[in-house]
Amino acid sequence: MPVEINIIDSLNLFEDLSRAELEEIASLMCRIKVTEGEVMTRQGDQAHSIFILLSADFMVFFKEGRSYTLHNKGDIVGLSAAVIPFCYTGTAVALTDGVVLSMPGQELLRLIESNPALGGKIMKKINQIISARQPFVTGGC
Amino acid sequence: MYGLDAISAHNGWQLAALGTSIVFAGLIILFLAISQIHKILEFWDKRDTYYQSIKKLVHRKHRSEATFSDPVLPKNVKGSVRQFKLLIEQIGEPFPLPKLLDFSEKCGFPHSHSSVNDLLKAKLIIPDGKGYFLWNQEVEKNIKI
Repeated sequence: MPVEINIIDSLNLFEDLSRAELEEIASLMCRIKVTEGEVMTRQGDQAHSIFILLSADFMVFFKEGRSYTLHNKGDIVGLSAAVIPFCYTGTAVALTDGVVLSMPGQELLRLIESNPALGGKIMKKINQIISARQPFVTGGC
Repeated sequence: MYGLDAISAHNGWQLAALGTSIVFAGLIILFLAISQIHKILEFWDKRDTYYQSIKKLVHRKHRSEATFSDPVLPKNVKGSVRQFKLLIEQIGEPFPLPKLLDFSEKCGFPHSHSSVNDLLKAKLIIPDGKGYFLWNQEVEKNIKI
């Protein structure tokens, strides 16, 4: 199902993008339903997709049971799909039924390579999110 | 009747004055519009920036509205608060959230994931900032269960 621009326009990750850039991003996304308890990413698996929460709640957990939860529209799961070595670092489980946007990581990387200005804006945000979450992954909280 | 008399008799002077006023008023409006055209062009050039700032304002408004929401537990979770508290006491604090979910599923709690989510949203379960979670005694006392 194609994604309308006004949906991604309201998300924090894409707030600095122009309308033309939003259109490019929207063309890569599709909307999928998730159910309570569904595992969206598994630690160690090859990272293929990034998921952006529209209405679901998620828990992401790591080794030794460390975890964080995501409850807000625009929160992101599976950022490893855009970062080398493209392996999920955590396991993401849906805590509630809901809807997420799915975007293939390779397609996003292709877009970033072809449009450096757009890539710069998105990668800056992705790096901020990854650094905030890193302590949960490594245990250095 | 000819000449100036004819002009006066048919309100010619007033009409001439009115016509002149209209023309001058038009010229003044045109002058003001041209003097401000640089602002319109500037607005057009920076339309993306204005669009972003309006968008940020709307986001900020939505976020502040969300902050003031009062979390009240849904009816179906009220009954399970006691059971989850007992489980957490058994696990010990701070506890790993996946372990709580695992235990609650083994105990046969219905909709354990969404129940834990409701407890998180009601701030009965709070993060300790190190990746583990705590039972919030303060909220338990005050929340409308």
